[in-house]
Amino acid sequence: MNKDILSGGVLLAVAGLYYLGTRQIARSSLEDGVGADGLPIVLAILLAGLAVLLILRSLIVARPVGGAAAVDGEYHAKFTRALGLLAIAGGYAVVAPIIGYVPALALLIAAVALYEGAQPSWRLAIVAVLGAGGFWLFFVWLLGVEQPSSLLF
Amino acid sequence: MKDLIQAFTMLGTTYVIPAAMAGLIWGIIGGALPGISASVTMALILPFTFTMDPVSAIVLLAATYIGAEYGGSIPAILIRTPGTNSAAATVIDGYEMKRQGRAGEALGISLWSGILGSLFGLAMLVLLTEPLARIALAFTPMSYFALGILGLSIIASLSGGSLLKGMIAATIGVMVATVGTDPISGVSRFTFGLPELLGGIKPILIMVGLFAVSELLRQSGSKGLEAAGEIVRIKLPNFLTMRKIGKAQAIGCIVGLFEGLMPGGGGSIAAFLSYNEAKRWSRYKEEFGRGSVEGIAAPEAANNTVASASLIPLLSFGIPGSNSAAVLLGGLLIHGLLPGPRLFEKNADVVLGLYTGSFVATVSQLVVGILILPLCIWLVNRPRPYLAAIIFALVLSGIFTINSSVIDLGIVLFTGLIGYIMLLTKFPFLPAILGVVMGPIVESNYRRSLLLSGGDHGIFLEDGIAIGLLVASIVFVVISVVREVREARAVRRAAPAA
Repeated sequence: MNKDILSGGVLLAVAGLYYLGTRQIARSSLEDGVGADGLPIVLAILLAGLAVLLILRSLIVARPVGGAAAVDGEYHAKFTRALGLLAIAGGYAVVAPIIGYVPALALLIAAVALYEGAQPSWRLAIVAVLGAGGFWLFFVWLLGVEQPSSLLF
Repeated sequence: MKDLIQAFTMLGTTYVIPAAMAGLIWGIIGGALPGISASVTMALILPFTFTMDPVSAIVLLAATYIGAEYGGSIPAILIRTPGTNSAAATVIDGYEMKRQGRAGEALGISLWSGILGSLFGLAMLVLLTEPLARIALAFTPMSYFALGILGLSIIASLSGGSLLKGMIAATIGVMVATVGTDPISGVSRFTFGLPELLGGIKPILIMVGLFAVSELLRQSGSKGLEAAGEIVRIKLPNFLTMRKIGKAQAIGCIVGLFEGLMPGGGGSIAAFLSYNEAKRWSRYKEEFGRGSVEGIAAPEAANNTVASASLIPLLSFGIPGSNSAAVLLGGLLIHGLLPGPRLFEKNADVVLGLYTGSFVATVSQLVVGILILPLCIWLVNRPRPYLAAIIFALVLSGIFTINSSVIDLGIVLFTGLIGYIMLLTKFPFLPAILGVVMGPIVESNYRRSLLLSGGDHGIFLEDGIAIGLLVASIVFVVISVVREVREARAVRRAAPAA
């Protein structure tokens, strides 16, 4: 399927969900003529209209101006790979409050490096540990930034 | 004169010099890492500015921008891979000179031309933005509404060839800006019961997600690069070379100024345009592509001029014309500074600090650029998986600098995913950023104006500045639509011929 048609479909769904969200906005006695939901309703309609235009343009124009191409295997592979990296980051967000910032960050560095093609080695372990320690020194010790606190440590 | 004295006083009493140095060093390092553009380098450091005073924060970001423009030329010359997009034109003659054993000379010309370009751009920044401060007091809610509309109207220029996609991105940006407490009635919108969202989604999170995380996702799985080789010593140009490259540098400065002022122009367009113009006006045309010193001087002067000149529309009207200017805008917003005319009136110290810090960073490049080169080459030679892992750790740790909130982390990662999808589907980022920033300005001032007039829209036609800005917006949109239609027709005409 053409990327623009797919994007248009997703955007239509987003516009629909956003419009449903505007129905949840409460009324206020301080409200002006436009209202808190005035702009959001306009935006929902505008996005839906633009999404329809995007789909129509892809269907009518033989060669889309935006350079859209068919969704192919390479596209899926790239997307899946990116999702994998995001999953590692998500894993960090889950694990850090349990095992603590430094161990979680060391695991993150090792996992990302492995995922990006590094070979398991002592060098990798040292980089992960030193990297996490370095970040702790910089963020927590030097800048005083509160990183995720741990349940275990 | 008074401002000049105040600027020099600032050097001794504030953190301008340390911030300028830190930004410059980080900028050169970030710019030297292939694939990490100037805007990504700035986005990576953006969370750190949250805890800083406004002047130091803005100086840090501006110096990072300046440093990244030079840093980008290092891998362009040494490994034929531009560190930043705007260094792409430098590859042509820079790498050729490296092959001829003249890498040090090429880096020296790049550094020298970059400094001249930055100084020229900075002078223009000071000269052109100052007069706008005088009209600051005349701005009403109607004027601000019109200014927001003008900002959104430049979407056409920032849409990378698809106005429709630019408009969609901007609409989504404004949608994101509606999350939080309504500015007039105080009711919450799209907060899903989360108190963390009552204050809205901070533009900084959107910027880090769109610029930094999406780029890391895009680069995931990419192969390693050629090694930069041995440490090179920078050789600054002698008098004869300086004379030879003078014309090319002047061309670069003028093209860079023009492109910096134009929304969506950017350093890469300026670099290639100036390269072509320098070749056209050169007495040594045959040297271009074969290691021409002018072929490095023109694009490097141009992209460094753009770095300063692109701040003119940002500081004057609050309109970011490039990704890097958008990140700087994020830095201003973090500290509650509303860019635009009132910045000169209410926060003159920040503007003055920006000028002073940019000057310090530019001049210091001559020394820092030489001293830091071995470190840059060492970093460029590191295996890509390790670099990717460390940068990812930096992003995830840096987010906690803002609120120490896991929700912020979730927003950044989600925005990164959206940004990555936008990259794959060729939706431009900058209109979305504009939407996030301009949306609240447009909405709140529109509604305030109507409250003042009792709901009468005629109030917008009673304000001279508002009328001028609205007319300018219409002209801008019409010109952009006509241009896009023409380009689309040209593509269609070229298709059968091909």
